[in-house]
Amino acid sequence: MIIASVNNLVVRYGRFTALNGLSCEIPEGCTGLLGPNGAGKTTLLKTILGFVKPTSGTATIMGMDIIEAGTAIRQKVGLMPEQDCHIPGMTAVQFVAYAGELAGMPASQALRRSHEVLDYCGLGEARYRNVETYSTGMKQRIKLAQALVHGPKLLLLDEPTNGLDPAGREDMLELVRSVSHGKGLNVLVSSHLLPDIERVCDRVIVVMKGQLRAQGTIKDLKKIEGRPIDVELREVCPAFVAGMQATGANVMLPKRTTYRIQMAGLPEEAAKVAMQVAKDTGAQIRGFVQAERSLEDAFMDAISTSGPPPVAAADGGNS
Amino acid sequence: MAASPIADLSYRNYDGPLDPPVNRWWAIAKMSMKLSTKKRGFWVWASMSAYWYLILLAIFYFMDQSAQATTALGQQNPLFKAIEWKGQFINAFSVSQLFMFILALMLGAGTIANDNRANALLVYLSKPCSKLDYVIGKWLGIFIPMTLVVGAPTLVFYFYCLLSYRSYGFVSQDPWLIVRLCGMVLIPGFFHASASLGISSLFQQGRLAGATYAGFYFFGLFFTKAMQVIVSVDNMNAINGNGPGAPTIVKNLYYCSVDGIQEALAKIFLNTDGSPLLPIQGPGGLQRVGIVSQPSGWVFIPAFFAICGLFMLLAWSRIRAVEVVG
Repeated sequence: MIIASVNNLVVRYGRFTALNGLSCEIPEGCTGLLGPNGAGKTTLLKTILGFVKPTSGTATIMGMDIIEAGTAIRQKVGLMPEQDCHIPGMTAVQFVAYAGELAGMPASQALRRSHEVLDYCGLGEARYRNVETYSTGMKQRIKLAQALVHGPKLLLLDEPTNGLDPAGREDMLELVRSVSHGKGLNVLVSSHLLPDIERVCDRVIVVMKGQLRAQGTIKDLKKIEGRPIDVELREVCPAFVAGMQATGANVMLPKRTTYRIQMAGLPEEAAKVAMQVAKDTGAQIRGFVQAERSLEDAFMDAISTSGPPPVAAADGGNS
Repeated sequence: MAASPIADLSYRNYDGPLDPPVNRWWAIAKMSMKLSTKKRGFWVWASMSAYWYLILLAIFYFMDQSAQATTALGQQNPLFKAIEWKGQFINAFSVSQLFMFILALMLGAGTIANDNRANALLVYLSKPCSKLDYVIGKWLGIFIPMTLVVGAPTLVFYFYCLLSYRSYGFVSQDPWLIVRLCGMVLIPGFFHASASLGISSLFQQGRLAGATYAGFYFFGLFFTKAMQVIVSVDNMNAINGNGPGAPTIVKNLYYCSVDGIQEALAKIFLNTDGSPLLPIQGPGGLQRVGIVSQPSGWVFIPAFFAICGLFMLLAWSRIRAVEVVG
């Protein structure tokens, strides 16, 4: 099911075009919004919430148009902004309960739920402290708590690990992964940190200069064109390489004893040939795996292309 | 313990009731009032703003005691008979204005400025709150407490006088006084809520917004006092037969300040020019040289609402969830 759909969205700040005809679909689950700084990720989130009016194009969130149903959308969406934000003069429990009331929760429910969410976000012990006295990590957590309090269907996280130390980052990613898997909550994580996205998301949307560059599952994006396989041998074996090359395969040595073999046909057929060649040359195969590139390589590849996304990558998630 | 349901801290989605995403302003107003009334200073200044009513009660007590010794049994106290009752409310209103201003600084100066500093608008506007909800909620969060602070002692004093001084013309002087007073008590809250909201929206820090509002206030107060001196001198000359009295333009300029425009409206609502500060001074003659007559309602009522509207418009235009450059 598609949670959000964006069609030819154009957003301009004066002369600067932040989103330039962006079209993408956000399915259920956890989706990463990737892009370098200034790519238009935050602008997309702000446009979805109605903070910024698009110059042209349309977008729907859970079937509701972003221009016509701004408040109804915001009741079903939770935002964890990139920058620090809190309401001055409040304790954590007051702040989160107030956020719930603002979202339409009855006061008693909001208070009960704020305790629950603060416990979940690991702020149970500090719930009666003024938010202004919180550390950076705690402020990140309270932002998540206020976004979660009213039980949104879609959670927008803008750079959730910003300013966190390694342990805090680890905790935050664990929290995000936990809420986005098996809890009925759909999450869109905007970040330029690829390891964070790879850790918590199933799918990614790559944006660059306000345009879509790639979208699909992380697994699909990491696939290499021609679908090569990596064959791990016990030790380096030139006879195996020669044997494979004799069958018409392209053989590379990306790691010490792992050969990347690319040949026409399905990967299963390539594996069969490799088994045969290994048998013939006396090479010991330790393992087969379909070769894939790192997400960083996929990302660099996506942002280095100009214009619309390659069809395979763009549709990868649907195939 | 860990196996008990209470220890289950995993995330659970909220599936309880949610009100429709409209009229969120009341939640904002409620929270603003809650935060305001938590401040000890609020109660201190709110109590002090009513001190003139206490002084009036003390004066009435001594007037009562002194008259008992000099007035024949069964006769009315001549001191009370001379009192213009509406004027006492105007005097108490004027005296409370400085305290109301201090309250306005406490409640209003930081209301948007501090939200700007803490990026709180991102929280408000990412929830189903519109800009209108935010402005109305913040405005009510200042207006309601200030109106209660002005209204409570005024109405208590009104009912005290109603029970004690009916025979001295308290009701007969103006049977509609209670209605007029209900209008009057709305003035400080209305003005200060609008002005402090507008000024607060221009800044990122409550202190700067407060200092700016204080600058406007005291500059206007100085101007008002200067005009009052001119009016007093002109009136004195008129009494001595040396001129026609203060010109209308000077009288109108007297009301061109934060306090002045509120006093103008209070006088228009109560339909009085006011009276000498102490009820014991009597209603007229030389005591009235410093009293500026009520201005035209046709000018000052629209001006009051226009000024408040402009401040609100300023606040409205400055409220953004995100800074949009370009």
